[in-house]
Amino acid sequence: MRTERGSRGALARRRLVRLVAAALVVGAAGCGPAGAEPNAPAARFVDGLGQKVLAVLRDGRLDRAARLERLSRLIDEATDLALVARLVLGRYWREASEAQRRDFVALFRALILKTMAERLDEYGGETYEIVGVQPVDERDSIVSTRILRQGGTPIAVDWRVRAEGGRLLLIDIVAEGVSLVVTQRSEMAEIAGRSGIDGLLAEMRRRLDRSA
Amino acid sequence: METEETGFAVAPRAIAVGLLLAGLAAVPTARALEPFDPLEPVNRVVFGLNELVDVMLLGPVAEAYGELPSPVRTGVRNVLDNLSAPVTFVNDLLQGETDRAGTTFARFFINSTLGLFGLFDLAGELGHPAHKEDFGQTLAVWGVGEGPFLMLPLLGPSTLRDTAGLAVDQLLIDPWTAVAGDELRAARAGSEAVDTRHRLDPVIRDVRRNSLDPYATVRSAYVQRRAAEIRNRRPATGDPRYESIFREEQ
Repeated sequence: MRTERGSRGALARRRLVRLVAAALVVGAAGCGPAGAEPNAPAARFVDGLGQKVLAVLRDGRLDRAARLERLSRLIDEATDLALVARLVLGRYWREASEAQRRDFVALFRALILKTMAERLDEYGGETYEIVGVQPVDERDSIVSTRILRQGGTPIAVDWRVRAEGGRLLLIDIVAEGVSLVVTQRSEMAEIAGRSGIDGLLAEMRRRLDRSA
Repeated sequence: METEETGFAVAPRAIAVGLLLAGLAAVPTARALEPFDPLEPVNRVVFGLNELVDVMLLGPVAEAYGELPSPVRTGVRNVLDNLSAPVTFVNDLLQGETDRAGTTFARFFINSTLGLFGLFDLAGELGHPAHKEDFGQTLAVWGVGEGPFLMLPLLGPSTLRDTAGLAVDQLLIDPWTAVAGDELRAARAGSEAVDTRHRLDPVIRDVRRNSLDPYATVRSAYVQRRAAEIRNRRPATGDPRYESIFREEQ
């Protein structure tokens, strides 16, 4: 603590000099981020998906229904929703009957599509850039992206991609450190713990029926 | 430069905080992924009251604030961020992050002078983006667990560790606590609340509309967000609590 305090002035001066020097060569600052491997298969997969989604959102000829239809098809193609639903239900998946599991997956998918429909009109010209790829194990890797907004700070979004049966599928989205799977899992566990799996399914149905 | 000024007034507070921290080390913490929330019934009541305050007061004020021209709001945000630089600087050092401390110091120096008391984030324009550190994060880096989840009145989601960290930041580290009068401090806290509420508005709307259990969502998101801040935004890869979810296959 004491030594840090003593060296603080010198440190800061050195930093300041560096900062000013950096300002003088600001033109060189635009290089790509280190560690990015934009050609890794997982990065190409996320980029491909992102391009398709942006194409749908930007296509002025599509009406709302057509847009939704295309986005839900992209979700079904690119994500393993059955696995995501299973992970989200967590330990209650093991307790659930076959019929409850089927219902849960269907309701989970319907709720995701409903949320997407409600957010459809919020698209305000955002774009993205791929920041890097990090392998997790032999199946999974995390693709880091930045969502760029006009006049706003970029949002860091990580995409967890799993190699399954020779193809890649999206299994989690982590926005600014907050994972969809972890958050939903916490919600589901809370409700299932309170009112059981049937209570959870009933709550999901109620939410689905409620108009936006 | 800042801590010296507050140094003489803090001894009694330091003892109180020291006792609190000593107690923290003994606190059990969530090892599984579910948040450790033994006070959930009380927390839920406080959450309900906070929601009420938000609907009646904070939300409408933040909405009016959102009507201000965007450069004005950016200026407010920049001033508030600049005021928090001393706390970030001290915590950078306490975490041994000397490079980041240097960046924080340089940012504060440049933005306070050329940036007109922090109104303009000139250092950010020059390619030195802001980051924030607080004593809750420092405690985490030192190995203190998060302890039970707490829903604080008006302040919102926290944990025992982060609440203790907030107390240390406010009472011991933040130079403005000693320098500024009550009105200025209240104005700063109010602006911070309104600006933060404004920026979180899309998220809050989304949670209210789509969450099956808003309390559980806020709790989970808070704990995850803090973990990400403590990792300094590196991906959650390698966090055993996160990874374990994706390994449980039948």
